[in-house]
Amino acid sequence: MSILAVTEVLVAQNIAFAIIAVGVVVAGVRLVTTENVVHAALWLVVVLAGIAGLYILLAAEFTAIVQVLVYIGAIVVLFLFGIMLTRARLGEGETVNKKMRAPALVIAVAMFALMAYSLWGYFGSTELEVMGRSTAELGQTTAQVADTLFLTYLIPFEVVSVLLLAALTGAIVLARRD
Amino acid sequence: MNILAAVGVDNPPLDWHALAPELVLVGLLAVLLLVDAFGGERSRWAMPSLTGIGLLAALIPVATLAYDGVVRSMFDGAYVVDNYALLFKALFLIAGYVVVLLSTNYIAEGDYWEGEYYQLLVASLLGMTVMASARDLISVFLALELLSIPAYMLAAWRKRDLGSEEAGMKYYLMGVFASAILLYGMSLLYGMTGSTLLVDIAGAIEGTEVPALVALAVVLVVVGFAFKVSAVPFHTWAPDTYQGAPTPVTAFLAVGSKAAGFVALMTVVLIAFPTQPRIFEPLIWALAAVTMIVGNLIALRQTNLVRMLAYSGVAQAGYILAPLAVAGVSGASAAMAVEAVSTYLVIYAAMNLGAFAVVIAVARKTGSAEIDSYGGLFSYSPVLAVCMSVFLFSLAGIPPLAGWYGKLTIFLALIEPGTLAGYILAVIVGLASVIALFYYARVAKVMFVDPAPDGDTTPIRVPMSLAAALTITVAVTLVVGVLPQVLARVTGAETFLSIGG
Repeated sequence: MSILAVTEVLVAQNIAFAIIAVGVVVAGVRLVTTENVVHAALWLVVVLAGIAGLYILLAAEFTAIVQVLVYIGAIVVLFLFGIMLTRARLGEGETVNKKMRAPALVIAVAMFALMAYSLWGYFGSTELEVMGRSTAELGQTTAQVADTLFLTYLIPFEVVSVLLLAALTGAIVLARRD
Repeated sequence: MNILAAVGVDNPPLDWHALAPELVLVGLLAVLLLVDAFGGERSRWAMPSLTGIGLLAALIPVATLAYDGVVRSMFDGAYVVDNYALLFKALFLIAGYVVVLLSTNYIAEGDYWEGEYYQLLVASLLGMTVMASARDLISVFLALELLSIPAYMLAAWRKRDLGSEEAGMKYYLMGVFASAILLYGMSLLYGMTGSTLLVDIAGAIEGTEVPALVALAVVLVVVGFAFKVSAVPFHTWAPDTYQGAPTPVTAFLAVGSKAAGFVALMTVVLIAFPTQPRIFEPLIWALAAVTMIVGNLIALRQTNLVRMLAYSGVAQAGYILAPLAVAGVSGASAAMAVEAVSTYLVIYAAMNLGAFAVVIAVARKTGSAEIDSYGGLFSYSPVLAVCMSVFLFSLAGIPPLAGWYGKLTIFLALIEPGTLAGYILAVIVGLASVIALFYYARVAKVMFVDPAPDGDTTPIRVPMSLAAALTITVAVTLVVGVLPQVLARVTGAETFLSIGG
């Protein structure tokens, strides 16, 4: 039976999934095989953006936006800054250290096995159960996040914004040269 | 508002009066930021005055709320404004005001990024005022981070000084470590109970099926706070941080951060864990006993006054922890413990801030905090020497200074339940206080008897703001010592414990 068989599953979603999944896998392989550190970081952007696309397909739009903001917006930029600040030159001559390939491979396979094992039971079903309730029952997640954030946890939310402002101010003072 | 109504958004259930002190602080922060950004060099002199006025303005809603006397609870009890919260808000704001007075000349003359300094100070104070009202795990944790993170940076504020960098770095690393432990404990609590509200957690862990997991969570949370209040064996950051940080920041850490840590510890332990005295009582008992003994013994050997005050602060943390070690026996003992801890924190703030004010004043002349450099202080600056003696003997607990009343409430709280553990701890408090008297009295002896080390006996010129800080702290230390009922009226625990269940 083909994965793209028309049963209860939407065809358009499956085709989009296949395209994104292939893109993510190709980018992932390029990420670990490329010789240039900066290229690796840029391939990582493609992988993370593809995952964000998958979240949108799963109707988890808030998770997708957070994925873009946090991973692509903050973490990859941090990687690039780290590379730029620690290495003198960015050029073709920079190569990646390959000594750790074997342990990395073992960890990757183990992670894949673990995730595949935990998701095996849901294979073929259209809905995931979260804490005894199906995703359809849980409803619009973004609206719920917004309600919780701006009603129940309004004060912690505001506290975080002041905290970020203070951290920014202090970091500039401590880091700048005078 | 119409657009919001159209898409079905409820207004958050806000009580603006209850949030007014915090809102004033946020407004003050914004004003400082804008004045600093657009005012340029000309506006720098206004920074400390603006901050001081703002902090006093934030006290006005605290006073009106106290006059109103209604317990205000928001967000299903996650944020509560009662007498307990208001007392600590007032304490933090006044202590913050005194720290501003201490900082005015120090920061201006040292050219230490004035605008940003006061912004971070206000941000940290905002975290403390939120902490006083926080009654769920998320608010407690975020308030703790908001009060700590600006403090890490303030400790490293003298950027060109290696000692200050060391101070900031040690404080930061130990603080982050403590936060991680605390968060792990909190995550276990949330995982077991499915709620972040302290009251709900208390109900859910009562008679729970997994006592080992509850015990682990309680221990991790208490240990996380033990770092913040610098209890032995989690005190190692305190002396280096206190010595290296700018002295006004040290005063702020020793009083503000420590008091906020105690408020958080007391809130979480007495509201979330009152059904688990078998776990938290022995733990806090041991922490308190070890902290008092070790802190006082190491303080005996110090030659630097700031380091001595750091270790004395560690020992004082032991005294303040002690009543909590018997708080789980009954409702009455919990009420006594809250009253003792609140009373001692207020008194401790006044006498410790005062001691640091004298240290700052003397360092303006001698440039040193070594105890030897205080020789002959009485002969050339008698007022400073007398003030210092008032603070030191108050810290030691000699009547009629405020410290004795603080110690008295601790003794009363310890013997109230009538348990052996309480009596033993009371004896340890007494012995530790006797040891402490030695090192406090030694400083007094140096000031009054020893000659000035280099024969330089020109009097110290004390700037206006420092004199104001000294006046406030001496006044509190003397008035509370002579008329303790003034303080006893505001440290009652009724509303706090009734909300805690």
